[in-house]
Amino acid sequence: MTSLLAAANEMASGGGGGGSKMADKEKKKKESILDLSKYIDKTIRVKFQGGREASGVLKGFDPLLNLVLDGTIEYMRDPDDQYKLTEDTRQLGLVVCRGTSVVLICPQDGMEAIPNPFIQQQDG
Amino acid sequence: MAANATTNPSQLLPLELVDKCIGSRIHIVMKSDKEIVGTLLGFDDFVNMVLEDVTEFEITPEGRRITKLDQILLNGNNITMKRCLLLTGS
Repeated sequence: MTSLLAAANEMASGGGGGGSKMADKEKKKKESILDLSKYIDKTIRVKFQGGREASGVLKGFDPLLNLVLDGTIEYMRDPDDQYKLTEDTRQLGLVVCRGTSVVLICPQDGMEAIPNPFIQQQDG
Repeated sequence: MAANATTNPSQLLPLELVDKCIGSRIHIVMKSDKEIVGTLLGFDDFVNMVLEDVTEFEITPEGRRITKLDQILLNGNNITMKRCLLLTGS
């Protein structure tokens, strides 16, 4: 053990590069914080930058969060619409969704509307 | 250790689907209210796309814009969704 420490010290003082350390903290791994494989073949709702929303069956994905959705329905938000669905929906079929513009992914059944919890904002 | 991104090989990768659409008409929806329809000639790692025989649509004023030919390069920054038109059936 002592010899190991001595060797490590040597490497450190050597000003060096790349000694193989045991704790690989500097190695960046592309880890996804969300495991999408559990949503495969399930209907999900996706929200995009720019206000678009879509729902469809998840057929595939990649680590960059590009998605393949089947039977996609797109919902558009208008100024006078204010998040009223069913208006202006389009059937899109099989689409690829660009991961760079995805902001939210959730299961279609996983959401419900609740009354506004922020009604009274009279905090001083 | 195995890569954390081990996805099920039997699923469909998004970029594979785009690759299959090369040569067919493709419909691209941008983040804004604009859509582009054209023939897909190719794409790159950043999903910038080269299209041909392109028509540009503005959804809100409901008008068709200029029909552009001679190949365009579409910047992938603003792309939200892509549809392969050859797969629209029934």
